[in-house]
Amino acid sequence: MFGLIKTWKALEAKGIMGINRRNADYVLKYNKRSLYPIVDDKIITKERAVEAGIHVPEMYGIIETEQEIGKLREIIKDRQDFVIKPAQGAGGDGILVIADRFEGRYKTVSGRIISHDEIEHQISNILTGLYSLGGLRDRALIEYRVTPDPIFKSISYEGVPDIRIIVLMGYPVMAMLRLPTRQSNGKANLHQGAIGVGVDLATGITLRGTWLNNKISKHPDTTNAVDGVQLPNWDGFMKLAAGCYELCGLGYIGVDMVLDQDKGPLILELNARPGLNIQIANDTGLTLRTHAIEARLEELKARGIQETADERVRFSQELFGHVPPRD
Amino acid sequence: MRALTLHLKILILLLVALGVGITAYQIFVLGIPVTADETDDLWNIDAKVEFVASPREPVKVQMFVPPLNQEFVSLNESFISNNYGVSINRVDGNRRVTWSARRASGRQTLYYRLVLTKRYSGEQTKAEGPIFRDSIPLEGPEKIAAEALLSPIRQHSADVETFISEAIKRVNNANDDNVRLLLGGDASIANRARVIEILLSIAHVPMERVHTIQLTDEQIQTPELWLRSFNGDRWLYFNPANGDQGLPADRLVWWTGDEPLLAVEGGKDARVEFTLSNSEMNAIRLAQLTDENTEADFLEYSLYGLPLSTQQTYQIMIMIPIGVLVILILRNLVGIQTLGTFTPVLIALAFRETQLGFGIVLFTVITALGLSLRSYLEHLKLQMLPRLSVVLTFVVVLIAVISLFSHKLGLERGLSVALFPMVILTMTIERLSITWEERGGGHAFKVAVGTIIAASLAHVLMNIPELVYFIFTFPSVLLILVGFMLAMGRYRGYRLTELFRFKAFLKD
Repeated sequence: MFGLIKTWKALEAKGIMGINRRNADYVLKYNKRSLYPIVDDKIITKERAVEAGIHVPEMYGIIETEQEIGKLREIIKDRQDFVIKPAQGAGGDGILVIADRFEGRYKTVSGRIISHDEIEHQISNILTGLYSLGGLRDRALIEYRVTPDPIFKSISYEGVPDIRIIVLMGYPVMAMLRLPTRQSNGKANLHQGAIGVGVDLATGITLRGTWLNNKISKHPDTTNAVDGVQLPNWDGFMKLAAGCYELCGLGYIGVDMVLDQDKGPLILELNARPGLNIQIANDTGLTLRTHAIEARLEELKARGIQETADERVRFSQELFGHVPPRD
Repeated sequence: MRALTLHLKILILLLVALGVGITAYQIFVLGIPVTADETDDLWNIDAKVEFVASPREPVKVQMFVPPLNQEFVSLNESFISNNYGVSINRVDGNRRVTWSARRASGRQTLYYRLVLTKRYSGEQTKAEGPIFRDSIPLEGPEKIAAEALLSPIRQHSADVETFISEAIKRVNNANDDNVRLLLGGDASIANRARVIEILLSIAHVPMERVHTIQLTDEQIQTPELWLRSFNGDRWLYFNPANGDQGLPADRLVWWTGDEPLLAVEGGKDARVEFTLSNSEMNAIRLAQLTDENTEADFLEYSLYGLPLSTQQTYQIMIMIPIGVLVILILRNLVGIQTLGTFTPVLIALAFRETQLGFGIVLFTVITALGLSLRSYLEHLKLQMLPRLSVVLTFVVVLIAVISLFSHKLGLERGLSVALFPMVILTMTIERLSITWEERGGGHAFKVAVGTIIAASLAHVLMNIPELVYFIFTFPSVLLILVGFMLAMGRYRGYRLTELFRFKAFLKD
């Protein structure tokens, strides 16, 4: 009992955010329920992003009804690779990644050969809500297939690593690189066993990581060190993330981005309830940083100023960046 | 800091105050018992009237019965008499029963039975009585003796109250010559009361005789004489034997006035015998009985006012908030993950029908089998609705098979699965399989165990009889719960499991 109180005090001193605090002080306070569809439906997110001039993987087409499945050939034309996703899918389920064409058939990333009929069946499943939350009818989204930048080759196992930045009212708070592992089946989801690696907001150099709630410094599959890697085009990521506040209107979000080897940073999706393990990856509590941003917001409000995305990025980088390297 | 806004604080305070206030009012003012085991005294008074009827003459027996406008409530009153007509009339604040018969012969026995309790009296009626009376005329030596007695009484008293008790004390002093003269050699209580009345009448203080019965388990007793006088505001009661003031709580006024208890026409050798017996009765049941027999209605607007079958439903329903509270605490304070928010409460309700141990086994077995079917159906790539229908049908068949087997094995428990748990089972299987797909088997297992723990705890709490009684009787307690839930809505501290989840931070 006494030990628990000590743990409590220590965590509070470090500014570690718990689920209750996240929900009460940030998610409930800054995220209006009516705006959730913007982040829950990937098609709406994409449309909004395109309007705002924010980079996203190019959308080839949408299939909304069973009749429209026939239009699939029209949508994919003679593209060699593409991705089919449920618009409201969760946890990466129902996503079909076609890497190549082969004699009138298709080849998935894992090397399996499937026919056109099988793809149509998959789309039909998506439409009936097989993969959507709550089993409601859904839409299928056909989009550009992201090719991860080769920089991640040494510290990633299959799949596409992505970068998450938590953004409070347009100010980047904390960043993390998520690397798929053999255990996570190539998915970049921390709950499924992917590793999270902290990223210095100012420089874009990776710090140490977290894997299943533990601190780590090497990738479990490749055994390469995960820290000290310079992410290319880091300021691009930061600006992209900061601009998402204007895009969706939600004040507290996790922005998931990828680094395409041709198109650079792209926004994949937004999350209205970003997880808390990013704190372990960065070895820092969220609360200290969010309080600093909230104080800044108060100050600006008193003076009647609104900062642009660039200014917000600079503020965050100056205040939270340049983390001293650990021993 | 910003934990609670003023608005929320006031709301919580209001709810808690209201909850505590109403409950306190019910307990302390209405006197509703706090536990179901609380009992109250119930008095059973039998008055047995015996006389010998004169032949060829109509019989008319009149007897006073308690007026019942005091702190006692009659639950049942009966007149047991063969071939006698019974009528009751009220005279001067007394109640009198009249038994009458055209013809009777030989030894007659009539019974009057009264069941009463001290609790739950209705509003007290405003007392009214005379405050002045004319003197009783006295002659010769008696007059002188009375006046000789009165002057020290006047000196030693300040008001009506002290005057009366002083007078009673003087009359009870057997060594006083004046008293001896007035008593005329008869020192019975009745005679002393007569002398007291004379003394008081000279001072124009009215006095009334009160005949009382003591509520004790003594076998046989006769009514005891007390005196009372109205002081303009309330009645003051005095014991004529020693001047003690105030009627003891266990004394029941049977009748007032100078008339005898019993008056018999057409009979002789009449006598009355009182027998009292005491029994204990469940207090809340007694309160309900009281409600039915009087105009008191403190239970009228409680859940006890509902029909009995509805009451039973509400006894289950009113406990749901307790179950919800358990889930709230387990999820937000402890951090146990459960399936959905209130599925555990529904499972806890289902445990009512299956009992806890058997319910857990049944749920585990059926859910495990249902999940394996669900994962098999996954390979067939079925749509959601058909898939759900198959799972539901499978659950029904499974339950039927289990019931059949357990019946053949002589375990009647297996038959206890009703409609309600079946739907919950299907829902549980569906949601658990979704969790399995989204978050993996380990997580699904964790959630399933958390759900069972939460459901068991909720079930246990929801079925503590004392708690059920308390909340059913004092539903305003729920307002206090709402206050707590509102406060929890702004709780931002860590969950217990987070202390372990973030342990990595403390390893430096």
